[in-house]
Amino acid sequence: MDDTVHVRAFARFREVFGDNLEVRVAVPATVRSVVQEIARMNPSGAHEILDGEGNLRKSVIVLVNRERIAGNGREDYPVRPGDEVALYPPVAGG
Amino acid sequence: MIKVTRDDFDLSDIIAAAQQGNIGAIVSFHGIVRDDGIEGMDVEAFEEVAEKDLQAIAAEAETRFGVAHVDIIHRVGHLSVGDSIVLIVVGASHRKAAFLACEYIIDRIKEYVPIWKKEYTHEGTRWVQGGH
Repeated sequence: MDDTVHVRAFARFREVFGDNLEVRVAVPATVRSVVQEIARMNPSGAHEILDGEGNLRKSVIVLVNRERIAGNGREDYPVRPGDEVALYPPVAGG
Repeated sequence: MIKVTRDDFDLSDIIAAAQQGNIGAIVSFHGIVRDDGIEGMDVEAFEEVAEKDLQAIAAEAETRFGVAHVDIIHRVGHLSVGDSIVLIVVGASHRKAAFLACEYIIDRIKEYVPIWKKEYTHEGTRWVQGGH
């Protein structure tokens, strides 16, 4: 069974991946499976979010349903069909 | 007033509106597009989250420093050299708390709130590096 999560990307990531994309992932999904699918859909931009070992870069900020997902285990955070996952690089406002 | 907006703002109106009976000091920070070899910039935000974060930062500043009034206005969209980017207005009984709270707010915005700047130079465009 697989289903769709809604992904939003901002700033440099928006230019690479698009600002709104629907990503199909196998259920149960996690932050890891979502970012790996985004990288698979856009191999030339994969290095923006994944390091050489395929892990999510620490500098990438991840929100699920507008809540920041931080800490060591964040790649295991569960993502459900219909959830919104947002990805963005370090911020530079002000 | 806390908002992320495409519209310009009038400093004197906002500062005048902060002037109320219990306030003895108003400190403001006004961020402007600086002419350091750029023609302008696009300011982008994850607006729904940025506005919620600004509300939370204002509330934190009120609690931490005991200030009575906070305005934060951050612009998005295309801005030219000399345009306003951000305005923070803090009102307090005494100056010390107002200075500290104002600095706290701009520092928190720069490290936390999802806003980015893409600069336009003669050579092309570049994203301002975040990451503090």
